[in-house]
Amino acid sequence: MAERLALIAKYALGLAMAGIIYAMFLVVPQYVGLGDAGRIIIVHVPTAWVTSAAFALSAIYSIIYLRTRSPLHDASAVSAAEVGMLFCIFATVTGAIFAEVVWGTFWNWDPRETTILVLLLIYAAYFALRSSIDDGARRRRLSAVYNIFACVTMPFLLFVAPRVADSTLHPNCAFLQGSKCEGVSLDLNGAKISQLGDVVVELKAVEQVGDMTRAVVEVRMPGLTEYADLAPTMDSEGKAADRPEFPGQSFRMILIEADPQAGTARVNMQAPGTGLLSNQRTLWVFLASNVTFGLLALWIFRIRATILQVSARLQTTEAL
Amino acid sequence: MNNSLLWRATKAVFVREVRSELRSRQALNAVALFAVCSIVAVSIGLGPLNRSAELPLIHAALVWIVLLFAAFTALARVFVVEEEQRTAAALRLAAPAHAVYLGKLLFNLVLLVALTLLVAVLAVVLLRMQVKAPTAFAVMLAAGSLGLVTGTTLIAAIIARASSRSTLFAVLSFPLLIPLLVTAVRGTALALAGAGWDRCLAPIQTLLAYAVAMFVTSLFLFATVWED
Repeated sequence: MAERLALIAKYALGLAMAGIIYAMFLVVPQYVGLGDAGRIIIVHVPTAWVTSAAFALSAIYSIIYLRTRSPLHDASAVSAAEVGMLFCIFATVTGAIFAEVVWGTFWNWDPRETTILVLLLIYAAYFALRSSIDDGARRRRLSAVYNIFACVTMPFLLFVAPRVADSTLHPNCAFLQGSKCEGVSLDLNGAKISQLGDVVVELKAVEQVGDMTRAVVEVRMPGLTEYADLAPTMDSEGKAADRPEFPGQSFRMILIEADPQAGTARVNMQAPGTGLLSNQRTLWVFLASNVTFGLLALWIFRIRATILQVSARLQTTEAL
Repeated sequence: MNNSLLWRATKAVFVREVRSELRSRQALNAVALFAVCSIVAVSIGLGPLNRSAELPLIHAALVWIVLLFAAFTALARVFVVEEEQRTAAALRLAAPAHAVYLGKLLFNLVLLVALTLLVAVLAVVLLRMQVKAPTAFAVMLAAGSLGLVTGTTLIAAIIARASSRSTLFAVLSFPLLIPLLVTAVRGTALALAGAGWDRCLAPIQTLLAYAVAMFVTSLFLFATVWED
């Protein structure tokens, strides 16, 4: 009975996955400014969430392992880390493709990109550590310690890195409540140089032109490859008007606040794709995709954990 | 355990580390020469740099990269040497785990502070680094070093029990040090550019918070690593 249920669940999952892929290309409408590239969020965002969940699960199993010292819990920790790694690679690759198409660059040290890269490095190091310790019990113990230790640094990445680089290209302000996308404040008489993503921006002037407020901002692209003066404007009600494009990129600069008297201005970069999920069809496909990818990850995790647990049991019986 | 007993054992481990280091001077020589070589290499490679708005950031990044790699060569030694000379078992019997950790952490801290001083002086002399806010600069370097030591000493204890130790130390430590490195580079650049305390305080707080978090976690986990 249980076997038959598992079989049914397996086929249902396969069907759901196929449905998601179908919906991704044929049900989700094109988004203005993104074209077909916007469809990739149906894969990109769920895989990124599954990645974080899997790594968190791995750390929890490592803690449990250190308490119980049962090789079975270690097997679960390893399989969760492997699933996390797999989905992390999916998320990184789909993200890089999207970034190239929409932002004009595969990689630009956006805070989220930094975080996912560090995650990849941490778990690559975790597997490297496991492969370089021969003794089974010692390998389990030391890799569990490393897993927990690495987990402690994550809050610093999540909260520190975004504060350092004040802006993110990810169109998240729209659907992640509480996330900050405030841009950077520049002051002609003080801190007039700052960074948006990896672009250096320097405020040159803030002026009143008719009833529009205009800021002149020099931008220097990474590697100082290109310089340009951009002049975003704002109307009298504080709504951004002119949104000039960054040189060689497809994201734009917007003026959020400006005070010509004080010589201050707040600018941000705006990526196409903000507000993507306000569309109902996209939203439902997106939610279904999250559930399906979560179940898929759970299924892979169960299989991998069972295999590793069986081999751990065999090793203990052989040792006896 | 009694606190004064722990403190005495810690001091004994620390003194032993210092004494054996002064006898061989292995770590000191290696680290000092590494720092001199890398700063000279950077100085030759770059030549004189023009003063620009980004110069403090470039100098800060160079100083921290040199410090990071010097730390990778030096800080694992305290535990690796115990395994190489097969003295780990004796040390396990002689001192409680926490005393071993604290003693070695203190030794690494002293080593890294000495190294940081050397690198800072060399950078001022050879890279013509201008320090406009010396106090903030010193505090930033001290807080960064503290984070670097607390973040790597437990890793040193882990890799001492594995094969291919020297590469593994860098591989395991680097991802954990990225938040520290980002904050330290930005903070040091602020201090070099002469920013006031109001702007330097945030990175210093972050660095100290990082150091405290890593220290407390290390204390929890060290006994597990050290047990045989």
